[in-house]
Amino acid sequence: MRGLRIFAATALAGLVAFSAGAEAKDTLRLMTVFDAPTVKLWEPVLAAYNAANPDIEVKMETVAGSGAAVYPDVLRTSMASGDPPDVFFMWGGEIAGPFIKAGQVEPLDAYYEKYGWDKVVAPWTIDRITRDGHKYGVPFHARGMGLWYRVDLFEKYGLSEPKTYADLANICATFKKDGIYCASFGGKFGWQTMRLLDYFTETTCGPEEHDKLNTLQSSWNQPCVVAAYDRMAQWVKDGWLVPDFLNVAPNDARMAVYSGDAAMVFEGGWFEGVLKSDEQPMENFKFFLPPTDHTPVRYSAFPEQWMIPTSSKHKDQAAAFINWMTIPDTQKQYPEAFTASATIGVESDCTVAPRDCEWKKLLTSDSATYPPTDQAFTKELIDGFFEVQDGVVAGKIAPADAAAQMQAKAEAWKAKQKS
Amino acid sequence: MSEITLGARRPVIVRRRRWRIPGAAIPYLFLAPATLWYAAFLVYPMLQSLYVSFFDWDGLSPSMTFVGLENYINIFAVDDVARLALWNNILWTLGALVLPTLFGLLLALALNRRAPASTLFRTIFYSPAVLPLVAVGLIWAWMYNPHFGVVNVTLKAVGLRSWANGWLSDYTMALPATFVTFIWSHVGFPMIFYLAGLQAISKEYYEAATIDGANAFQRFRHVTMPGLAETHVIVLSLAVINGFKVFDLVYTMTYGGPGRSTQVLGTWMYFQTFQYYHAGYGSALAWVIAAIVLVIAIPYIRRMSRG
Repeated sequence: MRGLRIFAATALAGLVAFSAGAEAKDTLRLMTVFDAPTVKLWEPVLAAYNAANPDIEVKMETVAGSGAAVYPDVLRTSMASGDPPDVFFMWGGEIAGPFIKAGQVEPLDAYYEKYGWDKVVAPWTIDRITRDGHKYGVPFHARGMGLWYRVDLFEKYGLSEPKTYADLANICATFKKDGIYCASFGGKFGWQTMRLLDYFTETTCGPEEHDKLNTLQSSWNQPCVVAAYDRMAQWVKDGWLVPDFLNVAPNDARMAVYSGDAAMVFEGGWFEGVLKSDEQPMENFKFFLPPTDHTPVRYSAFPEQWMIPTSSKHKDQAAAFINWMTIPDTQKQYPEAFTASATIGVESDCTVAPRDCEWKKLLTSDSATYPPTDQAFTKELIDGFFEVQDGVVAGKIAPADAAAQMQAKAEAWKAKQKS
Repeated sequence: MSEITLGARRPVIVRRRRWRIPGAAIPYLFLAPATLWYAAFLVYPMLQSLYVSFFDWDGLSPSMTFVGLENYINIFAVDDVARLALWNNILWTLGALVLPTLFGLLLALALNRRAPASTLFRTIFYSPAVLPLVAVGLIWAWMYNPHFGVVNVTLKAVGLRSWANGWLSDYTMALPATFVTFIWSHVGFPMIFYLAGLQAISKEYYEAATIDGANAFQRFRHVTMPGLAETHVIVLSLAVINGFKVFDLVYTMTYGGPGRSTQVLGTWMYFQTFQYYHAGYGSALAWVIAAIVLVIAIPYIRRMSRG
């Protein structure tokens, strides 16, 4: 019996000591969508932070490869169950909207003042993540998108990067004549096809009107939108796009370009990494910003950001950690972990990642951008947009009807918000 | 129970009170853990979702707005996609009632004999049924790829180029093409049930029918089919239930597209709840699916209980 008492006392003491030890460190949970190679690149970053801050341990949780279709569900569940991470990754624009609207995201204006983040990251990225005058996130990535093309095919047919929309149309006509599709798209989920339609809208409506359309300040039922849908229908009808692409997965759209059956894909700066992992010759791929016939030439771009949940118990530590990740000094030490960074003054290694280097210069300069529509609209409204877009591609909806239907969806959505 | 306490001058018999559990309560005690588990993880969430279905709620905010039956009314009176999804579910269920069931029965009849490779074939035909539907959906989506998928490549190779199609990208073909995958992955279930049913039919019935001069079709019509009556109830009920519960294949293969053409109630419920943040409306959709399935499942359960 005495032995049992001694054992119980020792176990209790051990337990108390263990708990005290565990409580000495605050754990910061960082939720991301990083894939396995990115997680690997981030291991030394987190190790360095943990070593420099012995009272804090940052632990990464990742929902790898899920994209914007699933990651918000996981995040939402963690918030609804009262167990959110302390810092989480989020895309810009309306994907973050429901979380902010539900009061689940901490406004970071005070931390912006404390750390001076508005001078550290590209200004346009801050504009994009600002909502109702408040900054709810800190831009982490700045992503731009353009048309990536096969250099060998352009050279073979004596083509050069287009300066006007007419030049681009000529390039497509030339490829078509020679039995090559001008571009390849994966229409499943809608967002890759949207990049082309967004570009057409930018060319036909111009920057100012395009912005008004994205904020529903202008009617979608107007001639310039009809013209954009008309271009989309024409590109399909003329056989410039690889056919039957509406339910092809976006990642599979590249196959036609790799095989030389198509000349271009509409992708972002990240495509350089994709080309490397797909073992494609990098020198055979370049990109250009699609010409809009407007000045300045705007291109599709979006930020990705770090956010802090309202219910985090470690908001100050979380903000300090975000600051440490955002400052140039940290990012310069781990350039591979911070490619496509929104931070100004962190140059990519142009010998290792030449295309990323070009994007980086563009995205942290004063170049003009427009948001992809799926970041301007809520998921509910963008799915209506995709429905109309699919109808135009399939030839089931005429361009004029498409513009009218899109406006009807916008009005129905607005009415729902009011009610 | 009694115990002799040592150390006293005279042995003292200490009687301890004995707890007796009434005999009638014992079965309930055994059932209690499972019942509690069931109540906590199935009944409570179901009732909670029924409660939520009468509210307008984004699934995130602390406050909800009571809307009464509005969500249910909207499903049938306002929401075009919900009605399209219901229609797609009906088509899917009708197909699920006929095709996998028929193929399952034919396979069971073919494999219900002592042939050298019958076990191997049973395994082959049943194996798709054990694969995760998400994996099945992704594999078949690749097979249907218009550019490099095996379906179109094969059609072109055998001179049927004009049959090659953008299977999942075509508004009229997307749902049937997805349904073909459903048949492939689900034909094993009825086959196994029918095989079990066939083996339960006494050979004496067939011998008697043969002596009476019945031909193969007559034996099938008058011996096999009545002998499989109980199996039909199980197979057909499960086909209807699975038809209304379909989600995985549509989600992975078409994501409800092109447009909304392949939305079914399960995917539309998911989109509304998790993508559009209409948890109340999504819960109402879930209860519509549950109500339809229950109406079909209750006769099945009653029949099974009797058996």
